[in-house]
Amino acid sequence: MPVDHKRINGPDETYPYSLYAKTNKQSLNEKHEDIKRTGQRSDSRTFLEHRKIFIKTGVVSQAKGSAYIELENTKVIVSVFDPREIPNRPDYSLKGEIYCEFKYAPFSCNKRRLHIQDTEEKQYSAIMKQALESTVCSHEFPNFQVDIYAMVLHNDGSCLSAAITAAGLALAHAGVPMYDIITSVSLGIQQDNLFIDPTNEEQSICLYPRTLDTDHGNVIISKLHMHNQISQFYQSGNISLEKINEAIGILDKTCEELVPVIQKYLVKHVIRNLKDREAK
Amino acid sequence: MAEQYKSLHPIKYYRDYLAHGIRPDGREFNKFRPILLNVGSIDTADGSAIAKVGNTTVVCGIKAELCKPKPDAPKCGFLVPNLELPPLCSPKFRPGPPSDQAQVLTQLIADIIENSKCIDLNDLCIFQDKLVWCLFVDFVCLDFDGSVVDACIVSLLGALKTAKLPFVEYDPALDNIQVNMEERKHIKVHSTPVSTTFAVFDDKVILKDPTQEEENLCSGILTVVFKDDELCCVHKPGGSPLTQEELSQCIEESKERTLFIKRLIDTAV
Amino acid sequence: METVTDKTNISCKLGILSRPDGSAILSEGNTTVIAGIYGPVEVKLQKLLIDKASVECHYRPKSGLPGVEDRLYESIIRNICETSFYASLHPRTAILVTIQELQNSGQLISCAINAACLACLNAGIDMKFMFSAVTCYMNFEDDLYLHCASGKETKAMFVFVFDSTEKRIIASHTKGSFTKEQFEEAVELSKEGCEDRFTYYKKVLES
Repeated sequence: MPVDHKRINGPDETYPYSLYAKTNKQSLNEKHEDIKRTGQRSDSRTFLEHRKIFIKTGVVSQAKGSAYIELENTKVIVSVFDPREIPNRPDYSLKGEIYCEFKYAPFSCNKRRLHIQDTEEKQYSAIMKQALESTVCSHEFPNFQVDIYAMVLHNDGSCLSAAITAAGLALAHAGVPMYDIITSVSLGIQQDNLFIDPTNEEQSICLYPRTLDTDHGNVIISKLHMHNQISQFYQSGNISLEKINEAIGILDKTCEELVPVIQKYLVKHVIRNLKDREAK
Repeated sequence: MAEQYKSLHPIKYYRDYLAHGIRPDGREFNKFRPILLNVGSIDTADGSAIAKVGNTTVVCGIKAELCKPKPDAPKCGFLVPNLELPPLCSPKFRPGPPSDQAQVLTQLIADIIENSKCIDLNDLCIFQDKLVWCLFVDFVCLDFDGSVVDACIVSLLGALKTAKLPFVEYDPALDNIQVNMEERKHIKVHSTPVSTTFAVFDDKVILKDPTQEEENLCSGILTVVFKDDELCCVHKPGGSPLTQEELSQCIEESKERTLFIKRLIDTAV
Repeated sequence: METVTDKTNISCKLGILSRPDGSAILSEGNTTVIAGIYGPVEVKLQKLLIDKASVECHYRPKSGLPGVEDRLYESIIRNICETSFYASLHPRTAILVTIQELQNSGQLISCAINAACLACLNAGIDMKFMFSAVTCYMNFEDDLYLHCASGKETKAMFVFVFDSTEKRIIASHTKGSFTKEQFEEAVELSKEGCEDRFTYYKKVLES
């Protein structure tokens, strides 16, 4: 591997200590068996229950708009900047563009992340862009680009959907013209169990099939509330048609559940702003 | 009106304020912004802390990994600090490799850690010549609003003082490593360095704890790091020349702050 | 031009490179660097400043590519040069300072800064003042001295850069830990050292 001259480099080979852990923890299969038997998830939620959500805007003073979202242990921060001319583009484009970057902080996951964007992060950036593209009025800022940066500070599953929801809020906070409120939810599937808003552990349970040809995987959708449209759909793993139909129905409902939270926050924000202006 | 004046003649705008002995954010010249420190909020890291100095926010996370020591220093562990200034924290930065500023600040922080000897690398040894700890200390700036080094050093100590490493058994005969995840121990932190940043405006006014705006407009920056009663870094990378008296004055003033920050860190951890 | 050697243990030769507008090779003890200056020259669009010349510095280590540590030196040298130049005389241009390390046995930064100053003088760039850097060491007995036998352990190291007009401190960079009194003593001692450098500069320019 070439040496990175722009950072301080550690020794060539390092290993995470968890590889040598003495007390062997339960394997993922055993954990799934436990969940199946007790019918309860490890954080005592029901299968279709979303985690508690905490949102806050205006956390980055230097950015035009910013939002912070917390789903218990999953913590994501998103900031949006003033539109700037699309770089390296010779011709004039009638529509504006958005640029998304999704990044894990080096210490956010169980395994240390490298500073350079890896393929997973690049893919997530692309998914984010797809989800948000249809919610901004891109004709309002022709030939300009709005930059959206998401940073995961603590990863405990469902980071991407949290980032998309937060990005929608940050865009609204930045005053970028938008069609609609966007909310996003993830779902994990393993056999007959559906996990809404999976934690990191549940996500890994859903990653591989238990036996051949069983349903397993993760699904993420993003929904525009008023238009009742799905702006993005992403699925990994192997899921039967009936299951995916059922999953979309559930996800759709959960997305709707998040909308009042966002709405309430935005209304509060507007009222506060108006009051501030009056005070001036 | 004030806003237009500010964006058209930023320096003049500042001069008008400073002539009246006050800064645009309402602080006097020698007043610091409030500091917040929150520790241990990220449990995927072995130690973590978030420090806020005014608007400036820095998250510090420590990840410990195992590795083989260098042959010429068989008892020395590693400490690898890196500061990331992602495009998220300020419109000044673009995606891609670290900016020059990020590199300069990374090196400055690495120097401060080394000079203050707050971590003895020999403490990170598990088995001589075979196995040592490597601490990856990553700083992520979330909001870039001046005096970033001050925030970094506060968050660094918060993270170091709360970091816990698991107990490692090493059998040299079999080259076998066993990690006891339950039994965790703190790292020994030998000293508490505290950094204070000053900005020199128009070659004469010295502002403490400058914001990003002030850092941009001023003609020189000075960073003083105190470790208990000793100095361990007086870094002035060029800019407006200062007389010896002015420099001594700054050092004296930063000393006064040391105790306060130390108490803050101790309360937090 | 001849090599001039001095009691400060410095030897220097100006104008050794033909392509740059100004250049100097300087050695302090066994540490040697070459500095070259181009300027004012055309500027890259990104770095263009409408009211003054932009100053860039490139520092090249003896072997390999510049790393993070060299980036810190670069920023110090760049800031010092920027302070000393009348940059507003040449708006929309760039002044490039390139430093190549040849041999290092301590006091590398101060050597590089002094070489940069002499190269600037050689290039005839308008400057508000000259600058000179002095490295000061402190051993474990808390004694301060300006010359260091290489390889000897020291408790602390100070680098100070002074201007030639009022002998004020332009830059300061330290290693190790020390008390405030020791720091002030080091400044005093270095100030004396810098006088010798400035007399030496004059000697070099006259020869």
